[in-house]
Amino acid sequence: MSAAPPDSKRELWIGWWTLVVFYNLYGLLFFVITRTQPPPEPSLDPSEVVQWFHDRHYGLLYGYAIVSIVGGATAIMNATLAYSMRRMSVSRAFAYSYLVIYALATLPGMLIMGVACTVGAMRPDRDPALMSWIYDFAFLSFEGTMGVFLIGSLVWMVAVLLDENGVFPKWFGYLNLCNALTEVVVAPAWIFKSGPFAWNGAIAWWINMGVFVTYTVVFLTLLRRMILREDFGTGPLPELAP
Amino acid sequence: MNGRPEVVRFVPGQPDMWAFVLFEGFVFTAYFGVYVFSRARSPDLFLESQAHLDLRIGFFNTLALLASSWSVARCVQAAREGSYRAATTNAFLTMLFGFVFLVSKLREWVVEIEQGFTFTADEFSSFYYFLTGIHFLHLLIGFVALAVAVYQLRSPARRSQEIVETCATYWHTIDFLWVLIFALLYVMR
Amino acid sequence: MKRADGELLLLWTLPLLGVIWISAFLLFPGFVQPMSPTLSAEQVAAFYRDPENLPRIRYSMILFNWFGVGLIPILALIALQIRRMAHRTPIFSYAIVACAAGGPTIFLMADLFWLLAAFRPERDPQLTLLLNDLAWVTFSSQVGFLIAQNVILALAIHLDRQQRPVFRPWVAHFNLVVAALLIPAAFAGAAMTGPFAWDGVLTFWVRNVAIGLWIAVMGVVLGRAIQRQRSEQQAAA
Repeated sequence: MSAAPPDSKRELWIGWWTLVVFYNLYGLLFFVITRTQPPPEPSLDPSEVVQWFHDRHYGLLYGYAIVSIVGGATAIMNATLAYSMRRMSVSRAFAYSYLVIYALATLPGMLIMGVACTVGAMRPDRDPALMSWIYDFAFLSFEGTMGVFLIGSLVWMVAVLLDENGVFPKWFGYLNLCNALTEVVVAPAWIFKSGPFAWNGAIAWWINMGVFVTYTVVFLTLLRRMILREDFGTGPLPELAP
Repeated sequence: MNGRPEVVRFVPGQPDMWAFVLFEGFVFTAYFGVYVFSRARSPDLFLESQAHLDLRIGFFNTLALLASSWSVARCVQAAREGSYRAATTNAFLTMLFGFVFLVSKLREWVVEIEQGFTFTADEFSSFYYFLTGIHFLHLLIGFVALAVAVYQLRSPARRSQEIVETCATYWHTIDFLWVLIFALLYVMR
Repeated sequence: MKRADGELLLLWTLPLLGVIWISAFLLFPGFVQPMSPTLSAEQVAAFYRDPENLPRIRYSMILFNWFGVGLIPILALIALQIRRMAHRTPIFSYAIVACAAGGPTIFLMADLFWLLAAFRPERDPQLTLLLNDLAWVTFSSQVGFLIAQNVILALAIHLDRQQRPVFRPWVAHFNLVVAALLIPAAFAGAAMTGPFAWDGVLTFWVRNVAIGLWIAVMGVVLGRAIQRQRSEQQAAA
């Protein structure tokens, strides 16, 4: 087959648009509807935690219900990213590793927090000490699960740096390192309940978020370029015509 | 030399590495900003806690890294001139100086921890361990970069000047970051 | 090339799995008559402490713990069938693999919470209530990967443009219908009574029957596809 059929990139565009729509939805759900991000202080006492859940009662319950419905979109998203590694000159082991690691990552990255916040919000009269535990469970599982994103980013980094097909520029490989390091930087969140290293801290959350958002916008842009350049071959990916 | 056309480059090594350096620079600047801000809010606490740091060891560590920057620069120069054995030797010398820093830093940490100056002791100490810790991690990655450089220099089939320079750029960056950290944590009182 | 033989073996685990799952379902005292979210902490504690219930809770959940991930080989078989479709990329089969990693793990979590609740029923009723809530919310509302695998499969079938597609179009429509039937269950946490509550007709009965139906129908459809693949390979040999 010499020329690829005209709509052959459709699958890739489905993948890409799923990524774009999902990340926007994610932002809306976490920052606006459930208002769980930016995160609250770990130092709240149990009665303040009860108040926090109370203030967000409907947002949490309905917001995370929507997360439960759309959360599986990550499967297509991760499949698309894994595909980018398959297009590279490196072993398919990279694509498969990334796929499985990030498939798992959906749980701490989104779903466990959904369950915790739902359980927290559904019984406003629950023992405040338990509410406090649920609060910790939600935020620490969400922000403190580091390994999947750490190793996953390193896998992508190595793939990009070794790739001879030029699927992504080398600086993106290095940016994966920056993203991986954010998972190291957040580790003190398991220790501190206030200050810049707490789960809502200037360093553990704000600066980390800055890196993560930059990283996400960048890879969405680069993926788009990849799809435009795609020739379904196995050799170097052609550059875009100017 | 090696038959490849001389490419006029704006920067030594991959421009990609410079993009990374710039980005990491921003991130570290942000960290330093948070540090300075926190320090301004409780200057006495920070001053008192800083007394735990031994300026002489800090100075020694800084010298070790500066020496390593010197040797990695010589490595790049040697590679450029085609003296690959000298280049490889300098790369190993860089690793040695880096290793000296590593061991000295670890020992410094152990002594400090035994004295009760731990990650969670006070606000300054948490910054100290965080900044020196994240730098330490970057240094470990630096060893990987040096290994890549040695791997390139080893065989005539490879010897990409660009990659060697890229690794050197990274190494210089961690040296530069250390100097800033040293100035902020040890010197600025 | 006897590649399909092992696949049939894997496929035949499905009816066995069905029997085990249905048995465990009937064994757990909180399913046939689904437990209400409106039960108080004392009532929930009493449920776990009741000597009639406790062994049944433990053994049914142990069964689910053993066999909960039994669906993964079936998902893998589906992923392989998707690879035979006339697609340009392997993205859809990758996505099914991702769903296989996510979905059963969630079910396992719910299972763990139930087992924990039953381990020390003499615990503070508030703690038992918490564990019970975590189990039910996880089990009922986390339908994301189930919906995703159905939608992805439907999409893959829709884009399988060849003479004899691997699955017929009705399979795609069936998958979409099942996905739609799973959506109400996502709201399990938001309702304490009524059809959306975790014991409600939509969240409990419609959801679980839909999942059971999907497993049964896809099992048959998958079997036929594998048989067809086998005969094609034998004809070519």
